Amino acid sequence: MPAQQINHPLPSGFQLDRYRIERQLSLGGFSIVYLAFDDDGTPVAIKEYLPNSLALRSEGQIIPAISEEHQAAFRHGMKCFFEEGRALAHLSHPNVVRVLNFFRANETVYMVMQYERGRTLQEHVQKHRGEIREIFVRNVFTRLLNGLREVHTQKLLHLDIKPSNIYLRTDGNPVLLDFGAARQALGASGHSLKPMYTPGFASPEQYKSPFKMGPWTDIYSVGASIYACLSGASPQAADKRVEKDQLVPATKRFADKYSGQLLEIIDWCMVLDFQERPMSVFQLQKALAERHQLVRRQPSWFDNLGQGLRSLIGK
Amino acid sequence: MRFTVYQESRIGKRKSNQDRVAYCYSRDALLMVVADGMGGHLHGEVAAQIAVQYITEAFQREATPTLRDPFGFLAAGLNNAHNAVLDYTLERDLPDAPRTTCVACVIQNSIAYWAHAGDSRLYLIRGDRPHSQTHDHSRVQLMVDDGLITEEEAMNHPGRNRVYSCLGGTIPPQIDFSAKTALHTGDIIVMATDGFWGPLGTEALVRGFAGRHVVEITPRLMDDAEVLGGRTADNLSVIAVTWEDGYGDITTGSVQTQTMPITAHTTQMEGFDKARLRESDLTDDDIEKAIEEIRSAIHKYSK
Repeated sequence: MPAQQINHPLPSGFQLDRYRIERQLSLGGFSIVYLAFDDDGTPVAIKEYLPNSLALRSEGQIIPAISEEHQAAFRHGMKCFFEEGRALAHLSHPNVVRVLNFFRANETVYMVMQYERGRTLQEHVQKHRGEIREIFVRNVFTRLLNGLREVHTQKLLHLDIKPSNIYLRTDGNPVLLDFGAARQALGASGHSLKPMYTPGFASPEQYKSPFKMGPWTDIYSVGASIYACLSGASPQAADKRVEKDQLVPATKRFADKYSGQLLEIIDWCMVLDFQERPMSVFQLQKALAERHQLVRRQPSWFDNLGQGLRSLIGK
Repeated sequence: MRFTVYQESRIGKRKSNQDRVAYCYSRDALLMVVADGMGGHLHGEVAAQIAVQYITEAFQREATPTLRDPFGFLAAGLNNAHNAVLDYTLERDLPDAPRTTCVACVIQNSIAYWAHAGDSRLYLIRGDRPHSQTHDHSRVQLMVDDGLITEEEAMNHPGRNRVYSCLGGTIPPQIDFSAKTALHTGDIIVMATDGFWGPLGTEALVRGFAGRHVVEITPRLMDDAEVLGGRTADNLSVIAVTWEDGYGDITTGSVQTQTMPITAHTTQMEGFDKARLRESDLTDDDIEKAIEEIRSAIHKYSK
């Protein structure tokens, strides 16, 4: 097996269309994301389609080399990249990353997105390990689910929801990022462009039976992300759980710190059998909202939560 | 177990390959599946892929290293694959159910069991004669049965592609099962889609395979079928296996499974990548169009 090719990013200061590249923000299997400035000096995030198993950019090169045998696969992947762009273009939601432009250059394609300031949920959880409050979790995920519902309405699955793909803007509003894995999933794809998944957050069907994927697939990842917020670490990977389930249910592990209702929802989202999970984001949101009604009937709880809310706003 | 197997799937002269074939074996059991997605229906290739994938996955779970009930396995496999295709249809709210034919065969303890829905065929060739073959679920076959047309006329009948049983359609599939068939050394089993058996015809097919090495003869017969298929040659796919348990000479290139661990499985699938990639060839015009479309959507939704 050949060693994985490692692609070099475009150099800092490179003029790409009407944007000037500042630096690389992240590198994935399918793409490189850059921080860049447009001609008005507005910062943007630019995602470059560059699947590292098919296209190679060596140091000092601008146009990636794509061998003849990989041409078809490269274009196939490009089609997926278009699908991501197309779906995001139709989405204008405060909790979903916004696409600003799409263009072709250097024999590949680029997607320009709004650049968000803040930090990822993962960074936040790591910084506040062990002191994540229920009201915070509910606030972030209730709003995030609004965005995810819009995504699903566009017949798109995100397929890589995890705390590091959830961005917390400086105003505390979450934004769902990186639709690189998103797909109008059509069964298993060819070997050169294997679907990517993140162990711990990917559902069992993403490993074994991609044709069973649906909204419940993202819902598993939402459950796993909430679990990770409470535990401060990735839950056991779904493929391992299928072999031997060692995940301590949230209702057991966090019983003393969070409401039973929230914990039950986490466990419900993370059931291995996809048919047993909430079938839609709406159903999940409804379950989450039921708690709020309960809260209103118990003034002592409400006071506590109210304080939590105020301290969050105060930040 | 000892056998020689060959499989290949070709696109013919069509735009996409909607055929899927796979074989899979444990130490003591062999599974072969052929599926032909229905061209006239949306996502035919998806139906074929789901069927093949579903049945091979079930085999990997259940052949430990033999299947407890081969016919039960085939019945459940084909029916569950049918339901998986329906689920797929419902999940994606497709206007028309994708459909596929399917023929699947299990061999263990030198006994063959097979089941089929539609007009993908299985032939068992012993010596130079056809020992048994599946009976198509097609109108044309019914007409032949009733003596309305001859086999020869059926080969060129305009409605020869119409099948009344398949996986994924609105009507539950009619699945036919073989007898339990003990295999002799040297028996050849050929499973093929109509793009292969159609142009060749049963006689030429049996004559072609009889006494020959499947690895050498299969691609040559596929060449013939493709030529006979002419300018509109259909997708064509074949799995051919020579059974070699017993006292025959060891053929080079044959598979011996005796040294495999009981839990190991080997799976080979054809027709996946190539078909998918060929179909998705994007021209420069397509790229410009896609970008234009995305840009106008961004513009439209941005304010």
